[in-house]
Amino acid sequence: MSPPTSLKILLVDDEVVRAAMVEEALTHEGHRVICRLTSPASLNEMVARHAPDVVIIDMESPDRDTLDSMALLNRENPRPVVFFADQHDPETLQAALKVGVSAYVVDGLVPGRVKPIIEVAIARFDAFQSLRRELDKTRNQLSERKRIERAKGLLMKHQNTDEEQAYRMLRKLAMDRGQRIAQVADNVIDILERLENGL
Amino acid sequence: MTFLPDAERPDLTLGFVPLLDAALLVIAREAGFFADQGLDVTLARQNTWSALRDKVAAGLLDGAQMLAPMPLAMSLGLGRAPCETLAPVTLSRNGNALVLAERLAEASHAHLAVDPARGARALAAALPTLPRPPRLAMVYPYSCQHYQLRHWLDLGGLDPQRDVELVVLPPPRMVEAMEAGEIDGFCVGEPWGSLAQHRGAGRIVATGAQLWPEAPEKVLGVTRSWARCYPATLARLIVALQRAGDWLAADPGHARRTLEWLALPPYLDRSVAHLSRLPLNETPIRQRLCGSEVLRPDPQAAASVAEHLDQALRREGRRLDLASLRACHDPVHYDRALHQAGAEDTEGGTPPAPQPDSNPM
Repeated sequence: MSPPTSLKILLVDDEVVRAAMVEEALTHEGHRVICRLTSPASLNEMVARHAPDVVIIDMESPDRDTLDSMALLNRENPRPVVFFADQHDPETLQAALKVGVSAYVVDGLVPGRVKPIIEVAIARFDAFQSLRRELDKTRNQLSERKRIERAKGLLMKHQNTDEEQAYRMLRKLAMDRGQRIAQVADNVIDILERLENGL
Repeated sequence: MTFLPDAERPDLTLGFVPLLDAALLVIAREAGFFADQGLDVTLARQNTWSALRDKVAAGLLDGAQMLAPMPLAMSLGLGRAPCETLAPVTLSRNGNALVLAERLAEASHAHLAVDPARGARALAAALPTLPRPPRLAMVYPYSCQHYQLRHWLDLGGLDPQRDVELVVLPPPRMVEAMEAGEIDGFCVGEPWGSLAQHRGAGRIVATGAQLWPEAPEKVLGVTRSWARCYPATLARLIVALQRAGDWLAADPGHARRTLEWLALPPYLDRSVAHLSRLPLNETPIRQRLCGSEVLRPDPQAAASVAEHLDQALRREGRRLDLASLRACHDPVHYDRALHQAGAEDTEGGTPPAPQPDSNPM
């Protein structure tokens, strides 16, 4: 039997490294953590099977809508999960949204018990963000130029443009997404190469 | 000469979900109507309606394309903590398709008919022969998609609790979930309904336009506190969107251009590849994206949607108050913005009529 402060947490995150970081930290606090990758339409069953007290889900997960509506659509569900949007604690909520953590809790669970869990998740999501920024920086500096060239080439071929237009396109996409040109180049390469391979 | 004061907040981020009715936002950005108003707008694609909603409420987005019932639901605290939200301009009417997976359409002989009840009755008749209750997806509990789906089920005498299983999925997941056999039908905005049909994954058996003709479908949503802080910015947003709609209506070539923009990776990407033209007011979906009669907030139309929210409130022992409804869908921002934008801008006369059915593209 786990200690009374221990809660059952379902962690839904496709970033395996980040999920491991959050899991480790929460297990350290004495909670039971179940980690799952997202998979379409299976979230209902997952929540029914594991009956978690808290669900931590990546803000950008496409599964979020399914989870968000669960309490409303399954009124017979004995453990409805509700979005953790405690009005008395807008700072925690704001911090969570900023780093991309969303949390859903079993209706009626005392907010005081959930807050430390969410704070741990926020800290780990934040740490992961900085970690990845560092990694990306070192890795990208080397080959950035090459990838932009490759993306330009693909755009010229697929969009039937000249080099100048292709570069402008990349720059515009970068501005639209608030990303760096090299990041956009990666996306373009990814999509157009998949297209070329008929996928 | 415009009488609009300068925007208090010229750099904006607006959220959108990949759907055809994000078109006015995309046009306003790409054709420079936001820029004309001194606004530098970033359009940020969102994976889910719930994330979009929470980001707007938390101020991480300045505003967003929203499902028409969403601002009022947010204001009333339905689905999350209350956050007073306004719908100062409508972005589309109609646009939803009700699609059944091909094998279910085949088994039930449901198909698109003049009377949408026929398909629903066909499904009802086939129900006893099905291995399990059909799993039908929509996009958000407080959405026209949900209410139209329920309306359609009702036409066939189907009970949404007992006869089917309702689930929520974001629009871009619908077609893949249908192809994977995870859902048996859905109600969703374009281009996802026609894409399912194009790929042979499903069949359109009814449309939102048949069930609720001319229903406001998407709106621009901003929080009331945002509107209060940045009144001139809001007015300029409204004017830019109106200009975008006028531009779209002015020339068939502009619809073509719009589809090209929508096909760019940051917007709808490959999900519009099956469309040869931007369908404007075409049977059966009758998507409408331009014209003052589309864009101006319509409190009367909003009231019929609000009845469904009222039912949700009654289940919680509450009632819809008319003040919230009026505040949310008040056309005052729209009227004031266009009035202030000045006589000179509209000197060319009234905006052109929307494109007719047979859009020669």
